[in-house]
Amino acid sequence: MGKRLAALVLVAVVIGLVALAYVASGNSSPQTDRSAALTAGEGGDQAGSDDRAFKLCDGETEVVISVPSAEKTGKMSREVAEQVAARLMQEWTIQKRSQGDRGSLLLAHKGEPHSRREMRTWDAELDKAVKEGYRLFHDSSLGTNGISCDMCHPDADDTHPYTYPKFQTQLKQVALLRDMINWCIENPLEGKRLADDDPRMKALEMYILWANKGEVAVPGKH
Amino acid sequence: MSEERQREFAKWVLLVLGSILLVFGVAPRPVPPELQGAAASASDYPLKIPLGLIDPEIPAANPLTLAKVELGRQLYFDKRLSVDDTVSCATCHDPHHGFAQSEAISIGIQGKKGNRNAPTVLNAALFDMQFWDGRAPSLEEQAKAPIVNPVEMGMPSLEALVEKLKKIPEYRISFSEAFPDGITVDNIARAIAAYERTLLAGDSPFDRYFYGKEENAISPAAKRGLEVFREKGRCVTCHEILSSFALFTDQKFHNVGVGMDKPNPDLGRFLVTKEEKDTGAFKTPTLRNVALTGPYMHDGSEPTLESVVELYDKGGIPNRHLDGGIRPLNLSAQEKKDLVEFMKSLTSPGVEKIGGPIPSQ
Amino acid sequence: MGRKVSRREFLRLSARGAAAAGLAGLFGGLGSSGSRPAEAAPRVEPFTFAYISDTHLYEKKLNMRFVRAIEKAVADVNALDPQPDFVLFGGDLAQLGQKGELDLGREILSGLRAKKYMMVGEHDWYLDMGEYWRQLFGPDTYSFDHKGVHFVVLNSVIVEDYWTATKMTPMERMKAMAQLDNPEGRPFTVGERQREWLQRDLAGVPLDRPIIVFSHSPLYRYYKNWNFWTDDAEQVQALLSRFQRVTVIHAHTHQVLTNRIGNIHFHGVLSTAWPWPYAPKGLPRYTRQQDRADPFDQFDGCGWGTVEVLPDGGVNKNYHLWGRKKTAVTYEWLSTVNEAALPDPYQVGPHY
Repeated sequence: MGKRLAALVLVAVVIGLVALAYVASGNSSPQTDRSAALTAGEGGDQAGSDDRAFKLCDGETEVVISVPSAEKTGKMSREVAEQVAARLMQEWTIQKRSQGDRGSLLLAHKGEPHSRREMRTWDAELDKAVKEGYRLFHDSSLGTNGISCDMCHPDADDTHPYTYPKFQTQLKQVALLRDMINWCIENPLEGKRLADDDPRMKALEMYILWANKGEVAVPGKH
Repeated sequence: MSEERQREFAKWVLLVLGSILLVFGVAPRPVPPELQGAAASASDYPLKIPLGLIDPEIPAANPLTLAKVELGRQLYFDKRLSVDDTVSCATCHDPHHGFAQSEAISIGIQGKKGNRNAPTVLNAALFDMQFWDGRAPSLEEQAKAPIVNPVEMGMPSLEALVEKLKKIPEYRISFSEAFPDGITVDNIARAIAAYERTLLAGDSPFDRYFYGKEENAISPAAKRGLEVFREKGRCVTCHEILSSFALFTDQKFHNVGVGMDKPNPDLGRFLVTKEEKDTGAFKTPTLRNVALTGPYMHDGSEPTLESVVELYDKGGIPNRHLDGGIRPLNLSAQEKKDLVEFMKSLTSPGVEKIGGPIPSQ
Repeated sequence: MGRKVSRREFLRLSARGAAAAGLAGLFGGLGSSGSRPAEAAPRVEPFTFAYISDTHLYEKKLNMRFVRAIEKAVADVNALDPQPDFVLFGGDLAQLGQKGELDLGREILSGLRAKKYMMVGEHDWYLDMGEYWRQLFGPDTYSFDHKGVHFVVLNSVIVEDYWTATKMTPMERMKAMAQLDNPEGRPFTVGERQREWLQRDLAGVPLDRPIIVFSHSPLYRYYKNWNFWTDDAEQVQALLSRFQRVTVIHAHTHQVLTNRIGNIHFHGVLSTAWPWPYAPKGLPRYTRQQDRADPFDQFDGCGWGTVEVLPDGGVNKNYHLWGRKKTAVTYEWLSTVNEAALPDPYQVGPHY
C-alpha cells in the first residue's frame, strides 16, 4: 500500500515539477517555493519525525527524507510533497552534474539550494544597491550644469547596456557601459569622470543593467 | 691544337657564349629582391604601409604600377602643366612644407589667389573625398581640377594639356609605357593619383608610442596632450584615433565657425550639397604632420597650433550653424601646451623624401 | 415596377433628406475613416506660425548649454523670411520654475521679431503654482482668433494635489514634477474647470471654423509612466471632435510625434534642450520616428519648427531638426493614410 502511494505521489510531484519549470524562467519564486519547503523540512531529527524513502521515476534517483510522523503514511501535505520534489530534483541534478551534464536547473553552493532567508537577504541587498544607483542616476551633482542622467534617459531608457562592448563613436573606441557612463558624465553633464572601481560607478551600472532586465545581449549592436 | 681544331673550338665557344647572351637578352628579367613579395606580375608597385596607417583603396581602373608612379612623380613636379609653365602641383603641395604650403591662401599663375588653404597630399589617398568641401570623390578627380582652375594652373582645358604633353617626347614614351592608350585626360589624372597613393606618412613618434608600444617615443607632455585630446579636449571624436590605425579625421563636415564672422563667408560643404545643415562646414583635416603644414583651417586664418587650440578652447566662432559638438573647453594653460606638444609628435620622419627624389626640372 | 412618387411625396422626402444632410454636416468628421469631408470645407487665409518649446533653462551661471540652444532657436526664427505670423512658446521655459530662470527665458524670447503666444508647462508651474508665470505672461488658459482659425491655449498639466498632505516644500514639489520617470507622479489633466471653460469658449464657434489647440501634454494617452498622457483626454477630445478641422499642437514629449484620433490631428513639437527617447509602448503608428541623437552634438535631436495653416484649415507640420534634413508631416498624408497599413513602430527602427 505504501509503495503504490509513494509511486502515485512521485508521479504527481513530477507533473508538478514540470509545471513549475515552465513558470520558473527568470523568476525566482519557484526556487523560493522549493527552498521554503526545504526550510520546513530542515533540521531533520525533530521529535515525531520518521525517515521515508522516495524514488524518482528514472528508477535510479533515491532520497531519504525526514517527514513528520503523521505523514509517514497516507496522502502527504502539500508542504511535505514540495519538500520531496525539491530533494529529488536536487539529487537528480547533482547526479547529472557529476556525470558532466549541467542539467536545466542550476543549484548553487555545493548542491544546497538557497534558503528562503538567503533569497530574501540577497534580494534586499540587490534592491539597496540598485536604489543607490537609481539615486545617483537622478542626481545632477554628478555633473556641474544641473543635468542628471534621467533627463535624457528616463527609466534608464535608451542606455542599451546589453549592446556593450561595442565601438562607441563618441569615444572612437570599443567601450564598456562604464566607459560611456564616464563619457556622459564628462560631456553632457560637464562633470569629472569616476574611477572604474568607484562605488558610484558600480551603483550606476547596477541600476542601468537592472532597469534593462530581460533584454537580449547583443554586443556590438549599433 | 691544330688551326682547324682551334677554329672549331672557337666556333663552339662563340656559339655557346652567343646562346647564353641571347638567352639572357630576351628572357624576362628576374625580379630584384626588393620587389619580391608583390602580387602577381613584376610591374606592380610594392606599397609599404607605414606604422599607424592602413592600405589605401586602389580603384580597379587604376592599379598601382612602377611606371605610373614614376610618370606621376614627373607630372607632379612639372610646371609645364600650367598654362604659363610657372606652377606645378608641387608649387602648392610642396614636399619641403609637408606637401602643403606656408601661404595662407596659395598663389597660382600670375600671382592670382583663390580662397582656400592648400591641404597636404600626404595620406590623402586614405580619404573618401578630396577638397575642403569634399566635392571630388577620388584623387583622380581632384587632380583634374587645379589644372583648369583659372587662379591655380590656368590651362584652358584638360584637352589642351593633353596636346601640350603630346609635343614632349619623354612624355610620349613614359605614357605609352604606363598606359596602353597613351596620353589622355584620364591617364594624366591616373598617373598623378598613382604617385599620390605612395605618399603615405606614418611612423611618427606618436605611432611608435601608440602602436609600437615604445614607451619613450614621445615626451610626458605629449602623453598628457594625448589624454587631453581623447577626453577633455573632445578632439578625438572628429580627429579619429582608432585601435590599429589613426587618420585623425572622421571624414565628415563640421562648422567650427571659421570665416563665418566675416562678410561673404565661404559656405564650404553647403556649396556642394545645398543642404542648410552644411552651411560653413568643412571636411575634418588629418592632423598628421600638422606641425609642418601651417597655417591652419580652410582659409589659413590660424597661424599656429597654439592659436588653433585657443580657437577651440573658446568654443569656435559663434554663428547660426556652429556644430553642436563645438563648445568652450576650459583648458588650463598646461593642458593647451600639452595638446600642442602632442600634435607635434604626429610628424613623420623624412617627409621631404616620401615618394622618392624630386625630379630635376 | 414601383409606383411613381407623387410631387408632394418627393418634396417631403427631399426635405427630410436635406435635414439629414444638414445633421450629417453638423456631426460630420466624427467617423474614423479620416477621409476629407466633402464640399463644406472651411476657407481660411493661409498663414504660418513658428514654435519654440521646452527650453528648460537654468540660470547662466549653472548652465550655458540650454541658453545657447534657445538663443539658436530665436536666431533661426528671426532669420525666417517672410516672418511667421506669430511664435508659439510651448511650455517648460524654466527647468525648476525659478524667477531667475523665467526672467532669463523672457529676456531671450523678447529678442524674437514676431509676436509671441505663451503656453505653460509643468516645469514653469509647480514651484509657485504658476504665480510668477501669470505675472510675466498672463493667464494660462485663453483663446484667440487669427485669420479665420480659432486658437485655444490650455494648461494641460494640472495634477491632483499630492504635496499638501505630505507637507512637501515648493522646491520638493517642483523637483518631483520635474522628474519625468517619477514613480510617485500623478497623471496630467486638463481638469473639470478648464473643460467647462473650453465648452463655454467653443459654444459660440461655428463647426466649420478650424480649431487649433495648444496644450503642453499630448491630449491623448501615449505613455503614463512618463506623463506623456492626459488623463481626461477623451473628455477633451469629445468637446473638440464636433468641429470639422481640429489640430492639437502639443509639447512635453521632445520628439517628432504624430497621431490621429477620429478627426483630430495631433502634432508634438521639438525641444531646444534635449530629445526624449520614444516610450517603450504606446507610440502612435502615425509617427515616423526621428533617429536617435548623438550626445556629442548638443543640438542633435533638438530644434524648433513651423506650422503651415492651409486654406481648408488643416495644417502641415514642419520640424526643423538641427543638423538634420527637415521633416514634415502634411495634412494630406495624415488625413488620408490608412493606419492599419502603417508599420508597427516597435518593429521598425529606431527602437530605444
